[in-house]
Amino acid sequence: MPDRHISDHTSNGMQCHEFDLMLSDALDGVLSGTQLDRFQAHAQSCKVCGPLLAEAEAGRSWLKGLTEVEPPANLVANILASTMGVDTQRLRATTSQRQPHVSRLEHVRASFLEPVWTMVRQPRFAMSFGMAFFALSVGLTVAGVKPSDIKAIDLRPAAIRRAYYNAHARVVRYVDNARAVYELQAALRGIKRNLAPAEPAPKPKDHKNDTTQQPEQKQERNYSQTGDQLIMARAPLGPSLRDLPVVSVTTYRRFV
Amino acid sequence: MEDVQVVAMLVRRCIAGDAAAWEEIVQTYNRRIYNICYRFAGSADDAQDLTQEVFIKMYRTLPSYDHTKGAFVTWVTTITRNLLVDHFRKTKQDRMTDSMDTAASDHEDAQPLSKQIPDRSAPPDAGVRSREVSETIHAALSKISPELREAVILRDLQDMDYREIAAVLKVPEGTVKSRINRGRAELARLLQRTYRQVM
Repeated sequence: MPDRHISDHTSNGMQCHEFDLMLSDALDGVLSGTQLDRFQAHAQSCKVCGPLLAEAEAGRSWLKGLTEVEPPANLVANILASTMGVDTQRLRATTSQRQPHVSRLEHVRASFLEPVWTMVRQPRFAMSFGMAFFALSVGLTVAGVKPSDIKAIDLRPAAIRRAYYNAHARVVRYVDNARAVYELQAALRGIKRNLAPAEPAPKPKDHKNDTTQQPEQKQERNYSQTGDQLIMARAPLGPSLRDLPVVSVTTYRRFV
Repeated sequence: MEDVQVVAMLVRRCIAGDAAAWEEIVQTYNRRIYNICYRFAGSADDAQDLTQEVFIKMYRTLPSYDHTKGAFVTWVTTITRNLLVDHFRKTKQDRMTDSMDTAASDHEDAQPLSKQIPDRSAPPDAGVRSREVSETIHAALSKISPELREAVILRDLQDMDYREIAAVLKVPEGTVKSRINRGRAELARLLQRTYRQVM
């Protein structure tokens, strides 16, 4: 490609094109004798080639100052991996890349499995585990859970929901039945009380006028009587009233 | 640079399926290819991806290498350059390139170019360059046109001779020299412009 800055001007018997071809050799120091004289004469006389010589020399000096840059440390390993799929231990060790698979397994074993295994081997852990197993088996036996039942357990969500509703229905039926039984028992007790003869009046205790010393016991006794307890009152039978029919009064008033 | 017979043997072992031989090739050439990609693409991430692509392509086309037709490093560099050109076309960087060919820098023609060059008494390569200076040069290099950039990189950064560069770029040696000269000059002009703005 022709250089637009190099004309065909002739100065001191040398054309600019010829000067341009000799410029590199001149900067390399390989020109000598007549060629060097003609070159220098043209550089001094030509207004284009003279500055070009100065610029080329300056640029060459600048470029000589550039030093080689250091390639990245992992460049060789990346090249080998991308070309041959080679991923040698030596290269990885020099470039401190990721650890190989085997080494990672060793790391996991050393950091996690070894401490766990050390703890498991202790007698204290074995005793604790045995006790927990024993308690669990006893609990399951008491609850009536059999291994065959555990096998039949269906852990699907629908099955779990169905089991929950069945258990809930059983509990509701049990509560309803218990309520009916209690109501029946209460009715029977009421009938029995109504049919039973009146109890004799309790004998008055000899308090010796010191009831104030045990107020809590007295109070506790009163509160222990239920409201359902019947208190029978009966009028004394005097001589004038022997012929009258006996009237008994039943009250539910509680002693306070 | 390389013993032809040794490299040929290495390539044969590689083709036969010797993983160690391929690893040796990767170890030997990854630095060189990465630097070419980095200087051309301008980005470390792109350079890493491109370097991997270069080796993948190398691995697939290794049987096509003929040591009688040229040095292995030239073959590797050619693959790298072709991939970089493809990458450049994909990323459309040429539209953003501030090339010497397209931008004639008319505003700078008002004064002789020799007067625009930095002070020669303090050459830019003197002493230890700071990291910022290196980054500035790298940024300026990424701004020159790709044709000039690749020639300059292969010559001044990879120390390839003109014949090898001509083989890689598939252009005559004269064109290679011309591109190198123009690339160096454009880089100097860009850096001068940069430092003038900073100053």
